[in-house]
Amino acid sequence: MLAFVIRRLGVMLVTALVLTFVVFFLTNLPPNLEKLARSEGSVRMTDAAVASWLEEHGHNGSVFYRYAEWLGAAPGWVITDEKGVTRGKCIGQRDDPAMAPKFCGVFQGNWGVSTVFKKTVLFSLGKSMAATGWLMLAVMLVMVPVALLIGVLAGMREGSRTDRVLSTFSIATSATPEYVSGVILVVLLASPATGLSPLLAEWGWIGSKTLFMGTATSAMDNITFWNFGLPVATIALYGVGYIARMTRASMTEVMTQQYIRTARLKGVGFRQVVLRHALRNAMIAPFTVIMLQFPYLLNGVVIVETLFNYKGFGWMLVTAAGNNDIEMLLGASVVAVIFVLVTQLISDIGYVFLNPRIRLG
Amino acid sequence: MNDMTRIDALHPGASMHLAEVKAGELSRREFLTRTTALGVSAVAAYGLLGLDAPAQAADVKVGGVVRVAMETKAMKDPRLADWPQIANVYRGWLEYLVQYNPDGSFEGRLLESWEANADATGYTMKVRQGVTWNNGDAFTADDVIFNFTRWADGSVDGNAMASRFPGLTEMVAKVDAAGAAVNDEAGNPVMVTKLRDGSVVKIDDHTVELKMSISDIAVVAAISDYPAAIVHSSFKDGDDPAVNAIGTGPYVPGEMSVGQKMTIVRAPESHKWWGGVAPLDEIHYIDFGTDPSAMVNLANSDEIDMNYETTGEFIEQLNTLGWTQYEAVTASTIVCRFNSATSDLYKEKEVRSALQRAVDPAVVLELGYKGLGTTAENHHACPVHPEYAKLDPQTLDKAGVKDVLAKYNLADAEFEFISLDGGFELDTSDAVAAQLRDAGVNVKRTVMPGSTFWNDWQKYPFSSTTWNHRPLAVQNMQYAYTSTGSWNECGMANADFDAAMTAALALADGEKRREQAAILEKILQDEGYIIQPYWRSLYRHTKPNVVGAVMHPSMEHHHYLWSLA
Repeated sequence: MLAFVIRRLGVMLVTALVLTFVVFFLTNLPPNLEKLARSEGSVRMTDAAVASWLEEHGHNGSVFYRYAEWLGAAPGWVITDEKGVTRGKCIGQRDDPAMAPKFCGVFQGNWGVSTVFKKTVLFSLGKSMAATGWLMLAVMLVMVPVALLIGVLAGMREGSRTDRVLSTFSIATSATPEYVSGVILVVLLASPATGLSPLLAEWGWIGSKTLFMGTATSAMDNITFWNFGLPVATIALYGVGYIARMTRASMTEVMTQQYIRTARLKGVGFRQVVLRHALRNAMIAPFTVIMLQFPYLLNGVVIVETLFNYKGFGWMLVTAAGNNDIEMLLGASVVAVIFVLVTQLISDIGYVFLNPRIRLG
Repeated sequence: MNDMTRIDALHPGASMHLAEVKAGELSRREFLTRTTALGVSAVAAYGLLGLDAPAQAADVKVGGVVRVAMETKAMKDPRLADWPQIANVYRGWLEYLVQYNPDGSFEGRLLESWEANADATGYTMKVRQGVTWNNGDAFTADDVIFNFTRWADGSVDGNAMASRFPGLTEMVAKVDAAGAAVNDEAGNPVMVTKLRDGSVVKIDDHTVELKMSISDIAVVAAISDYPAAIVHSSFKDGDDPAVNAIGTGPYVPGEMSVGQKMTIVRAPESHKWWGGVAPLDEIHYIDFGTDPSAMVNLANSDEIDMNYETTGEFIEQLNTLGWTQYEAVTASTIVCRFNSATSDLYKEKEVRSALQRAVDPAVVLELGYKGLGTTAENHHACPVHPEYAKLDPQTLDKAGVKDVLAKYNLADAEFEFISLDGGFELDTSDAVAAQLRDAGVNVKRTVMPGSTFWNDWQKYPFSSTTWNHRPLAVQNMQYAYTSTGSWNECGMANADFDAAMTAALALADGEKRREQAAILEKILQDEGYIIQPYWRSLYRHTKPNVVGAVMHPSMEHHHYLWSLA
């Protein structure tokens, strides 16, 4: 078990190294660097000004050397311009250049500074991950119980009317991508001109002009049902259908097993059979699916956070990519690698507990 | 206030203009400009109109927070700022020498006054006394010189100010970090601007003199533009102005999160702002993205108190919510022009003038821009320009066009009219074409996407071009209609116009320039090269309890005028 965890951590490290180098290489392609110079310097700069800006900000030279600078394996760049002002990777605004360290990379605990957000990468990442954490927590709290309930109800009597209705619902939701369901939800519930809101406002049931809020920006400071409901529902809807289908499949299979029939024949009530004999065995497959859903959520929040203007990890990723914010994107990819591999590790370990036939080693 | 204003105690011109307003001959805006110019106070002028003057200093309530929906872009060294939104945040603590007001006038802020010599080659600037930086330093002439040096420094990549002072700068070879000359690809040395020695001179602690090598009346306009914020002498090239924010303004930066939220908060008590007390305690800029429909939702759910700009259909929606609408008449415009240099059709002045007068600007404004502006007079000088002179109205003559065309054997000629393929440019051009067709002109419309349209925009025989707002009328006229103008797109070469322009550019006094401007406007209108139907308006909405947050033609936020009722 320990060896397994250590091996997994090793894989994680190698993956992070490879992925960050790929991201570094892509963000350092000349057109991307030009984009960076124009967004940081001025959009109206001449080509010559772009070249000199890049040189003065340590973006020339070999891509491998600059990657080593980021890692902290090579000394950071230092440039003294024609006015005698010294700037460098390791020298902050108003720092004394003489006192600055030579190396400042990830190994030294310095993840760099985001060029878009003007804050350190660790600070920006922390803040946006916290925001996304709340969103994910809310989604999981809604999605998992609802999905399991639907799956179990549908799967315990295969082919019944309940099964047909619930299956149709699951297929419909899992076939609707977030950018469609999000827009539909906004139109139905958060527009002063269309959907339910004008009706409710006319009847005097709601004080404001819309039932839900169309943006989740205010949830950054204060989460309420009305500003958080739609983004959570949008992500959860997609997952609900998917997990419910998996649970249903697993449940119907378990319900056809010999030991279930035996229990029924011995006179155990249907309710007892489902809760005591079928449920745990039916949970093995959905558990993996749910853990797989985490990395997918990291994906889903990109669309939903942008749609609802919620400033979390997904929104930050879009903004950073749009502005070619090199160090921010590198930091984000490390976080993503760790997140995916850790949830998979939990999934593998959890499997052992749910299914005694499986051993890790 | 209103019933206490006794009109017979005021300047006799006031009652005359009031009668004109009542007869519908004069707009309120024009009434205000004219009467205040006569020495009638703004309060009295508003009183005559039966309105309360905005932001009366006496009864402004101090305190409160205003939330503004605006993109919060990263702070930059002010001279590199490339969006007004950036400047609107650092305006909280960085101030300007001169402020460009929505009514088109220039107001001294950190300058008490300025005076140009007769041919506009020298300016004497009086620096405001009693201004202090929020670190306790006094603001003096040295600070002004420090900032002029910064602005003129063309060696800084992306410096928006460097090219704006041709009379104060000289060209020097650019050197790199090691002190070696920088060459371009052809091997020639790269030349950049630098402040000429002796061009900005300190006379005493509160007087600065500009000694320019050429006449330049645009200096005042240049130092009022948003990249020209005044920074402290400890400011280093490329610094973030929000870090260690030393400024003269009434606020200091609070939370600064790019793309999320930026706040400016009242400066600590130790800093005494020269302007007295700015009413609001805090101003929050919240970034809700760029989707304009989000704006209406935000206003609905009371998440904002005002927005940055309202466009198109959303103007009506916010009005329905009961929000206050502010409008800025700007000199942003669209010009449909003939080019006599590239087409024989438009060689004759009489033909051009007949075509021009076949188009009713009011109809074009309605159809092309949904009426969201004011009609123009085919001479590219706008009432917000300080030197604007009102000419006698042109006579429209739809019926006479056919005769003029027949006279020059053009009755069957096809007039191809080229425009962009979308937006108000398309609608406006279609409206102009429709009116010409009504008048019996054989017009053929051609539309092009932006990617190809702009390649040859100066060369088309007949096309429409958008022009941005500039503080002075002579700026646009000089670029577009003098025989040597770099953006001359109509082939106009009128010696009288050129001579009048030279005279106008050397006149620093706005009043005297107005006489010259009248000549320029008349020539330009009579030449008939342009059909310039309307001035575009820009809109902003605020909650009814927000006072003084009027729209500005260049989107500037003057925080010290804002308050809550």
